[in-house]
Amino acid sequence: MSVEQASAPRQAPVRYRVLWGQTPQSFRIGLIVLLLHLTVAVIGPFWAPYGFSQMGTGIPLSGMSWAHPFGVDQLGRDVFSRVVHGSHIVILLSLSGTAIGLLVGAVLGLLSGYLGGWFDNLLQRLLEALISIPFLVLALIAIASAGPELSGNPILVVLVVALVYAPRIARIARAAAMDIATRDFVTVARLRGESAWSVMRRELLPNATGVLLVEFALRAGYAPVLIGSLGFLGFGLRPPTPEWGLMISENRALIIITPITVLGPGLALASLVVGLNLFTEGLARILGRTVRLGNQ
Amino acid sequence: MTGAQHLLEVRNLGISYRQGGGWSRAVDDVSFSLRPGEVFGLVGESGCGKSTIALQLLGFRHVSMRVEQGDVRFKGQSLTSMSRAELDKLRGDRIAFVPQNPTTALNPGIRIGRQLTETMLAHGRAKIAENAGAIAGILKLVGLPADPAFQRRYPHQLSGGQQQRICIAMALACDPDVLVLDEPTTGLDVTTQEQIISLLSELRVRIGVAMLYVTHDLALLSQIADRIGVMYAGRMVEIAPTDEIFLRPRHPYTQGLIASIPIIEDLSVTRARPLRGLLRRRELPPGCPFAPRCDHALQRCVAERQELETIDEARAVACWRWRDIAPVPAEPVSPAGAGALATRAPVLSVDHVSVVYGTKSRGFRAVSDVSFEIKEGEVFALVGESGSGKSTLARAISGLTAPATGTIQLRGEKLAAAVRDRSDQQRRLVQYIFQNPDASLNPRARVGEAIARPLVHFFKMEGVTARTKVADALDDVRLDGSYQERFPDQLSGGERQRVAIARALAAKPALLLCDEILSALDVSVQASILTLLRQLKSEHGIAMLFISHDLAVVRMLADHVCVLYGGEVMEIGPREQVFAPPFHPYTHSLLHAVPVPLQRPDKPPKAPDAAEPRRGEAGCVYAGRCPWQVGSICETERPPWRAGEGGLGLRCHLTLDQLNARADWAPLRQEGIAV
Repeated sequence: MSVEQASAPRQAPVRYRVLWGQTPQSFRIGLIVLLLHLTVAVIGPFWAPYGFSQMGTGIPLSGMSWAHPFGVDQLGRDVFSRVVHGSHIVILLSLSGTAIGLLVGAVLGLLSGYLGGWFDNLLQRLLEALISIPFLVLALIAIASAGPELSGNPILVVLVVALVYAPRIARIARAAAMDIATRDFVTVARLRGESAWSVMRRELLPNATGVLLVEFALRAGYAPVLIGSLGFLGFGLRPPTPEWGLMISENRALIIITPITVLGPGLALASLVVGLNLFTEGLARILGRTVRLGNQ
Repeated sequence: MTGAQHLLEVRNLGISYRQGGGWSRAVDDVSFSLRPGEVFGLVGESGCGKSTIALQLLGFRHVSMRVEQGDVRFKGQSLTSMSRAELDKLRGDRIAFVPQNPTTALNPGIRIGRQLTETMLAHGRAKIAENAGAIAGILKLVGLPADPAFQRRYPHQLSGGQQQRICIAMALACDPDVLVLDEPTTGLDVTTQEQIISLLSELRVRIGVAMLYVTHDLALLSQIADRIGVMYAGRMVEIAPTDEIFLRPRHPYTQGLIASIPIIEDLSVTRARPLRGLLRRRELPPGCPFAPRCDHALQRCVAERQELETIDEARAVACWRWRDIAPVPAEPVSPAGAGALATRAPVLSVDHVSVVYGTKSRGFRAVSDVSFEIKEGEVFALVGESGSGKSTLARAISGLTAPATGTIQLRGEKLAAAVRDRSDQQRRLVQYIFQNPDASLNPRARVGEAIARPLVHFFKMEGVTARTKVADALDDVRLDGSYQERFPDQLSGGERQRVAIARALAAKPALLLCDEILSALDVSVQASILTLLRQLKSEHGIAMLFISHDLAVVRMLADHVCVLYGGEVMEIGPREQVFAPPFHPYTHSLLHAVPVPLQRPDKPPKAPDAAEPRRGEAGCVYAGRCPWQVGSICETERPPWRAGEGGLGLRCHLTLDQLNARADWAPLRQEGIAV
């Protein structure tokens, strides 16, 4: 009768053990591009040839050269140095904005899916209203209503990214919660009289992490584009911040004379977005696989 | 035997599945053959490779599966090396498949008449497919009505048994030589199962189709199979004619497996000892895979591989000690005493409870006017088919579903309808254990955390106190303290169910609601959980509401039994009285439907299987299906409640004496059988 316990404990299977050789190709390429960007973001400010607002580094509007790979803008600033200095700003703002959006969206979505009823109804209608507004328009409305004294503040940009993403993430979280809530272990918690918050934190959230991580990864991939668009339109960070979208906007008037000053930051933005997307798409596939196995 | 006699031959088959980075062996060197018109049964516990072999008989291929060695030959052609196009010609035409779950196997959007012709059209038999008479003939063959109105129905308009008949009809559409059946009755009720089995035995007599029947249910297999192959951990351990398997099992695993089957038997018959332990794939020895669980294992068994050895004309065993081993007799178990129960206080009183889904006026009456009491330390069994309202009643007691009328009292206090309106104390005293342990444990919480939750929530325990209590709870269910650190996916099904029981026990409940807690488990695991429940009953004196469709298990565990049909109580009383005449006609047909080893269905099923309970109509809810129906009175007047000896009560128009005279069921009393 007690034989089940008598035998030696089995070797615990390694969770999330995904061998490098089995990872999708997109994941590997994305990871390399991302690591490159991260390296630049971390150590870039130390080796960038010039400061980001340093003027007179060369002849204004001179094109590509060994000394100025991305050329010199009309104020005589080295565009390459500005791109390198801007790297950590773009990455930091994208990730923190997405993270806040994820946190808010996950909590609202999970609670909404578990509780149902009027709370769910009210919240869903509200979120649908937010989602129905094109995200750039929503971002502009939010910035405009925050008032002029806050405009250009990096925290505002982060919050705007969170505001745009939270409703979309909440819908995914709600769908996950509705699926998990039908399982017996949630019923057990409910029969115990646990509060909705406790059920959400202990039973729903740990089982939704896979879905939410995938969601985080995919959203984070587009955040630089959103921040760049805001910068380009002049609603993001203020000059002379070396934010890439802002730089493209500043130099675009002279695109015919020195195309490289626009292409440089554009290239940086594109490679970050492509790298993030390749990486997150691969990660989503790996997570999707292990999450499924873990739940079997 | 010459090769020409074999219709299908499996030779040294070895199959692996991709797992993590490598390949793991699911089937290892299995050989057997199927003769024309023969029924070969493949039996074993979950994960033994029986379904993998069944699929291989249809030439199933998949990227994460590969055939390592051997092959499958159909009339001399190798299925494993055949091209896809050739296979498609064969499958469905010469070799047909009947799946486990008819509900998902049938296309919900196609009328059954058209669905039946699909196989024929795929194999170029358009002429037959367009012939209405031919379709009607096939429907009649499987015992279904053949009229056009029936053919125009969609699958969801049929009962589970009818759906499975359609699947069988589809498989038979091209008049195949071989039928491969993978657990075809596992999802069905016991009475429906009985009808499908008698249909299959009738079919093999009438059309002489050979069958490979895969199941975990050895007792069921004995009713239909000519020969049985017993599998363990991917290997064939014994092949023998059905009677031989039961009367003289040679392999220790077969002996244990037979002994583990719960059977409604005469308690004076001594049985062999049930299987102990469980299959641990990571610890298989190089020799016999069963050696770690075997009572007879020697050093040589662990080290040396045993091949399947032919020991006489028709049987083969993979055990080199088969000559000198005999089944180990089980320790005698005394049935749980019910003597002092009458004086104990009731824990739970259910008083005229009805549960209605939907609106009160036009809803579905899942439970109607049910009353009973459960006393302290008593095991109260609720028995009935799916849809009889057993689980709904348990949900009402737990507070998940509000009853429409009636009251539920716990230790004399009225319970609120919804669980959130009950006190913490009331919630603690009633603990629910679910059927499927995979779903009732949070896959992301360690065993220790799962069991600690009720302790933290109800007793505000923390740290060391909680940890020792968790260890105590694990000890109660015979699991080691080291299990605290594990995740549910690192446990076997039986271990998970033990953890679920431990979590319920940690709350120190007065009443356990056990909802079919054995039915998702293998027989050997069932036997060990059953032993555990009996121990808990005597150690803790917890009352249990034990919901089950398995009458054999109920007879072994319960003190009181209540038989439900269509949401109404048909019969209620102490176990001894319910399992002895007079029987309610429904109880009687349930008892007859329980598969008993070597007892083949001798008579065709008496009642049509399509009849639904007559809910909310005048007369008896069981009328229309009842084999002993008296006449029109059953359909017009509600039967009276008749009280019998020793607290027995049942609802029927027949008097107890009349019922007594008609009863012809008795528990198994075969001394010769090895059970």
